[in-house]
Formats: sequence, C-alpha cells, structure tokens
Amino acid sequence: MKNFSLRIPVVSRGRALLAVAVGLLAGCATNVNTVERAQPQAAPTYIADKRVVTDNTLAGMVRVVAINQSTVSGNLLKVQATIENRKNSLRTLNYKFEWIDRDGMAINSPNETWKSVQLQGRETTTIATVAINPRAVDFVLKLRE
Amino acid sequence: MNPPHFFRPLLGACSASVLFFAGCATAPETRTIDSKGPEALNTASINSQDWASAADQLVQSLLTSNALDRVRTQPAVLAVDRIINNTTLSVDTDLLIKKIRVALTQTGKVAVTNTMGLGERAVVASEAAEMEEMTTGKKQKLKAPDFTLYGKLIQQTDRAKSVTQNTYTFQMSLVDVKSGLTVWEEEREIAKQTKRSSVGW
Repeated sequence: MKNFSLRIPVVSRGRALLAVAVGLLAGCATNVNTVERAQPQAAPTYIADKRVVTDNTLAGMVRVVAINQSTVSGNLLKVQATIENRKNSLRTLNYKFEWIDRDGMAINSPNETWKSVQLQGRETTTIATVAINPRAVDFVLKLRE
Repeated sequence: MNPPHFFRPLLGACSASVLFFAGCATAPETRTIDSKGPEALNTASINSQDWASAADQLVQSLLTSNALDRVRTQPAVLAVDRIINNTTLSVDTDLLIKKIRVALTQTGKVAVTNTMGLGERAVVASEAAEMEEMTTGKKQKLKAPDFTLYGKLIQQTDRAKSVTQNTYTFQMSLVDVKSGLTVWEEEREIAKQTKRSSVGW
C-alpha cells in the first residue's frame, strides 16, 4: 500500500499559522478607534513632569501621555492626566493623586484615595482631580495595576 | 531508645498529620488595609472604595461648576437636605454625605448649617442657641442657608443567565435658596457584574 501524506510547503504553513494567530488576536482585541478635530481649539496648560518608574510591566502597559492643569472655583488647582493603554486588551488601572502645599508638606486630603479606571485596548482617556485645599500647589500621581 | 524499623514509617506519617492539622488550627489572619484602596473587598454592593470614588467625583463636579461662587460673602451656608435611599441596601447615607461635607468644608467655600436639615447634632445646636438666648437675653441671628443639597441613591439590577449586574446611581442637586433654582446637578454610576458559579448548591 502506498503511503500518502499531504505536504504543505514550510512558507505556507508559516503563513497559515500567522493567519490563525492574527485571527485569534483580532477576536480578543477590544481596541478603540477615535476621531477628533484636526486643529484642536483647546489650549491646555501642560506641565513638565518628572517620572519615577519602579514597575516596568506597568510602564509598558499604560503610558502617561501628558498632564495639564487649570484653576477651578477661583483658587483650587485641577490636574488632568491623559493616559494611554498600550495593550490590545481591556486593562484596569489604579491611580491616586496626592497634594503638596507650598512648604512641601503633604496635605492628606480626604479625596486622596485610590481610584480605578478601565481602559479598552489602545484607548486614550483622561483622569482628573481637584485639590479641595486651596493651599495645594503641587501633586504626585501614583499608578499601579 | 530508637523505635524499631517497621515502626518508623508509621511514626513519620503520624508526625506529618499532626503538623498538617496544627497548620489548619492557626488563628485567622487579619491585616490592616487601605479601606479606599484596591485591596478593599469588591462585592456586589457598594464598597468603601465606591463611596470614596463617588464622593470625589461629585465634589469635583460641584467645584468645577463654580456654582458655590455665586454667593456674595463666602463661605456659602449649606443645608443638607434628605438623601433618599432607593436601593435594596441598608446603608447609612453619611458614607457619602460626610465625605462630601468634609471635602467641601476643607475648600473654605462652604459652611454647613447645623440648625436645619441633616446638619449633624442639629438638636444640640438648636438647644445651644436657645440657651445662649436665655443667658444673654438677645435673639440669636442664625444664618439662613444659601444652598440646600439633596441626593438620591438608586439601584438597578439586570440579570442575564448567570450574570447579575447591579448599577448604583448617585444623584445630587444643589438648590439656590433665594431663587429656588437648581444651580448644579450631577449623577454618577457604578456598575458591578457578578457571575454566579456554574457549580453551586
């Protein structure tokens, strides 16, 4: 009896595997597409920031794109961070803003609590907070998984 | 004296089982956590992190609206009205209101009146005012509120197969007493999905 086997070229097998992998990944992805004004009318006041990374996995997952600030209710500082999910799947990020007064002392406001935000794949969103103490002049944004 | 060879495995097994059961009998472990942090237990109801998050978002919205800056002289006097709880949860609405009061008071833009509404220790404050009147013979001038704050908690439950979703809505409104107009309103939602185990009793 003659043996019969289906021979697939190596290149074709590679392509087939790639196609299956892409198909699987596409099925799992929850990426977000966005459309916005080409010439934005907003003129945010961006802050030059200093970053300390102790968790490289987290830094690879979520990126802080920019931080801007404004003043609300006359004398209260409002800070907004634009964050981006660098992965193709839904991620939950925990964050906390802490406030510091002019003398460098931590203010310990009651709203300095960990909050969570969910980001779809490749989504960019904003997290913000208002300093409830008029003495607040600086902030620290803490991020964790 | 050493035990006989045939007895040694039995002795080893007994020792292992004693150690095993001793491990089970240890006292339950308790640790202190940040009640508003990610370690807080996430349940189908509103947990401590949810209360803190809702209060912060409502305060942020109120301060960003600049509604409190409408008064001529600051701090604005605020009377806290009823908080209606239309959820199935038996919760103390102070879990939300107190956080909002503390935050607003720290801004220096608000003073909460204790002589009406849900002002804390309203009875004692009223009695103290009466006593002051009796001792001084002068009628006390109580500050009328500039604003009243009222709120409502709503729960909506949706079920699909083994998944239950509880959506809690926190609604809050600020009313200008002089005009009777609502000068700020906000609502925040927290949705929680709980998946029931397919094997259960």
